[in-house]
Amino acid sequence: MLNKNRLFITKTLLSSLIRRRSRILVALLGTAIGATVLFGMVTLCYDIPRQMGKAFRSYGANIIFMPAGSHATIDLNLVNAATDLIPSTQRIGVTPFRYLAVRSNVVPYTLVGTDFQQITKTSPYWLIEGQFPSQDNEIMIGIDVANYAHLSIGDIMPIAGKSRQNDNFDQIFKIVGIVKTGKTEDSFIFVNFTKLESLLQEQNQAEVIELSISAPKEELQNYIAKVKLNFPSIEPHLIKWVTQSETQVLGKLSSLLYLVTSVVLILTMICVATTMMTVVIERRKEIGLKKALGAENRRIAKEFLAESLFLGFIGGLIGSLFGLLFAQVISREVFGSSIVFEFYLIPFTILISMLVTVVACLMPVKQAVEVEPALVLRGE
Amino acid sequence: MFGKMLLRVLTRQKKKSLLIVLTVALGVSLATSMLNVMFDVGDKVNQELKAYGANLNIVPKGASFVSDMYQIDDNNQATPSQFIQEDELVKIKMIFWAYNIVDFAPYLSVTANIDDKPVKIVGTWFDKHLIIPTGDEIDTGMLAMKSWWQIDGSKMVDDNLHGAMMGETLAKKLNLKIGDEFTIVAPKTQQIITLTVNNIFHSGGIEDSEIYVSLPIAQKLADKVGLVERIEVSALTTPENELARRAAQDPNSLSRNEWDVWYCTAYISSIAYQLEEVMPSVRVKAIMQVAESEGAILQKTQLLMILLTILSLVCSALAISNLVTANVIERSAEIGLLKALGASNSAVAMLIICEILIIGFIGGVIGYFIGVGFAQIIGYTVFGSTIEPKILIIPLVGLMVLFITLLGSVPALRMMIFLKPIDVLHGR
Amino acid sequence: MNILEVNNVSKNYGSLYALADINMTVGDGKWLSIMGPSGSGKSTLMNIIGCMDKPTSGSVILDGQDITQLSLTDLTVIRRDKIGLIFQQFHLVPYLTALENVMLAQYYHSMVDEKEALNALERVGLHARAKHLPRQLSGGEQQRVCIARALINYPKLILADEPTGNLDEANESLVMNLLHQLHQEGSSIIVVTHSPEVAKHAETTVVLEHGKIAQIIDNLK
Repeated sequence: MLNKNRLFITKTLLSSLIRRRSRILVALLGTAIGATVLFGMVTLCYDIPRQMGKAFRSYGANIIFMPAGSHATIDLNLVNAATDLIPSTQRIGVTPFRYLAVRSNVVPYTLVGTDFQQITKTSPYWLIEGQFPSQDNEIMIGIDVANYAHLSIGDIMPIAGKSRQNDNFDQIFKIVGIVKTGKTEDSFIFVNFTKLESLLQEQNQAEVIELSISAPKEELQNYIAKVKLNFPSIEPHLIKWVTQSETQVLGKLSSLLYLVTSVVLILTMICVATTMMTVVIERRKEIGLKKALGAENRRIAKEFLAESLFLGFIGGLIGSLFGLLFAQVISREVFGSSIVFEFYLIPFTILISMLVTVVACLMPVKQAVEVEPALVLRGE
Repeated sequence: MFGKMLLRVLTRQKKKSLLIVLTVALGVSLATSMLNVMFDVGDKVNQELKAYGANLNIVPKGASFVSDMYQIDDNNQATPSQFIQEDELVKIKMIFWAYNIVDFAPYLSVTANIDDKPVKIVGTWFDKHLIIPTGDEIDTGMLAMKSWWQIDGSKMVDDNLHGAMMGETLAKKLNLKIGDEFTIVAPKTQQIITLTVNNIFHSGGIEDSEIYVSLPIAQKLADKVGLVERIEVSALTTPENELARRAAQDPNSLSRNEWDVWYCTAYISSIAYQLEEVMPSVRVKAIMQVAESEGAILQKTQLLMILLTILSLVCSALAISNLVTANVIERSAEIGLLKALGASNSAVAMLIICEILIIGFIGGVIGYFIGVGFAQIIGYTVFGSTIEPKILIIPLVGLMVLFITLLGSVPALRMMIFLKPIDVLHGR
Repeated sequence: MNILEVNNVSKNYGSLYALADINMTVGDGKWLSIMGPSGSGKSTLMNIIGCMDKPTSGSVILDGQDITQLSLTDLTVIRRDKIGLIFQQFHLVPYLTALENVMLAQYYHSMVDEKEALNALERVGLHARAKHLPRQLSGGEQQRVCIARALINYPKLILADEPTGNLDEANESLVMNLLHQLHQEGSSIIVVTHSPEVAKHAETTVVLEHGKIAQIIDNLK
């Protein structure tokens, strides 16, 4: 028999939701806005420090590998094994460097062999006029070299030196690019790593490896400790200049984001609450009538509770979808990559929006039920 | 009569009006704080990015190859053949963008012997008090620029001619602690100088095996009185764009107008250009690693803030207009009565709009001040400095409120026009 | 046995007396009209009898129980068990159909019973309009839904506040006929009105003026 009553009140609740379309739309819009902001902002808060961290990788390498002890070079196979310790999603780039003292028209220069593909990842800030060498007979020169020797793109440059076996070589290279960094690279000559290996007549040896890893300082330090333990011939170094400043600035940016998020959240939640309140205040007469018909306060409160729970749920659900969309748009626009979002944020958002609607609903209901029905029903 | 009615409506529905005022105030405060933060975030983040240190390197014009690579041992380093006059340094603060020069420090390095082992000694300004001919006084030097150095010991001062800052690696090698004395033998003059370890620092770079001393000591050791080798400058810059990149290639390729714009914008290339103008014997090189990355991060942060601001604006706009709509629809009975009494559509619309605008105005004023307050909280908590309220935001927010409240009353006004008084009064 | 006894009831708002020392009784199965001009205290008296307001002093005994001593929660229970209310402004829940509005009273009272609710609507001649929303009904129809709602829980006392105030003559007589039917079936009825025409239907009319009983008319004579 009780079921009949339950069925009836459920039906009336549904009627209330369906037949009061315009008001429900207002309330639903309110909760959906709140949920959108909540979901979007929290998702961004989760993801942006990570994305920003990636943006900070434009400062270049944050770890370098150097040969340990008295060795002059490191075996690249070891380096590969060591870098495999880092998850590939965090590994932005690994660039080997091999240096060789050479002469060109009697002037001494340093010839640097490197992997240009990786350079674009570990040192995205290099300002390059022309292009990277792609052929073995092509080189890229630093701006200081270009100024000093009055060379420009398209010119040729003879380079002479000695291999590891003390064999002399003397070859002609074509300049395809000029690099400008404002630092030492300005005075180097760059060639493909494999080309330098063939000039040196050696394989798989590098003097310095630059690594760019997207991870916070503590993780980097852990990684360094691991490398030190497992690869005694590698001496890993944290580039403090980069990591320390990154930690500092990224910390500020994150706290900026958190603060902005909390301000936006607090304000929107109150906005949602006031909207819900006006929608409920409107129904004071109905509450008075129900009281006159003999409904207890708790029963009326329960009905409104159910209704607001429902509104909060639907609003939260819609809001989650829009929030996801908006977080995605921001992530795409700002960082050019998809947002990573946590699925459990959806129930979380729905829960919070239900909570807000319930609180916002029950406050005016509580006020209304405390007023004697006569006052509400009289006139007007 | 109109005024009286307006007053009655506002005072009688106190509670409801109060709720709308509150919502408008919240929406406006959200918009105000976000706009304020957005307009200021560029400057603030730029300031923070100074943690990365110098973004300009000043070297003598003739110097072809400067060796400052972080790890490559350069034993056969050719001593730079050219130098910059120390007195020229004040000119750095006399360019058009002097205000944007945050910090600078000169360097002069010399290889001297400690226990017959060669060690690189670098002379610099630590935190020097300078009087600029324009009348300004500033403190500038290396300490402010190397924020990532971890320094033990009391702060090094420029007047301390017997103290030295020693790199961690070197201190370990020489087995020296803070307070210990050591002697240096100058390579050329064979002069002997005794110094005390004032600080031991950890930089994570090659500096860890170097010694930093006050500039006069290095000049004496190198026998280069009044000269420095290079200068690092940290300047606040505007992110590079197409114009700046073209100018960096060749300033002469710009048209007259473009040149003016470029010269009067704090691009790194225009600052470099202006430094070269005042100091004819130097070359100013932008450190791309810092300059480019700064630009990238600044742009990302600003874009993020702009998007978040737009979102907040849209949300507060929706919330306010939503509420306004709800409020006006609710009063259909009252509107029906007015119409029944012979009020024309325009008269009723006027009443509604005036009422909404008054409520919006009150809410807007309250919200503006709350918003400025929120912006200050954000400024202080995150950046430790105030966020200057921009005057521009006041008309911006005012327009927003006007637009939103009017937009919010549109559905209600439409409904009102089609409303038949009889329907309302008969409770249908 | 009296269904209602009002003893020395006064109600004042500050220094303003709405009711002063009212005494009256309504016997079981009787029909009483409370008549008087606006501001005479009719509505205040009706609210007190309807358990929606409390007197400042005096006692009201409803069906043998002193309701002035009860808490607000207990009053709610009394109201739904013993009284059927009919309002001048009808007060129907706008988003519920006529049938659902009647069933709402059942719901708060005990248990919904659609058949019974439909019967009640049939009694007031609205069987065909059971599924209509209040805004689709005329004023008279809305008031008849109200009456169906008032009698659905078999109240001891039907309390009607200006039941015909918003109705035309045809609807007025329809509503009054319904009240007569209920009266004949044994319901006690109190009608508050300012119209002598409506008041005449009752067995007794109490005329209020300035919060006091000015006259008691026996309509049967």
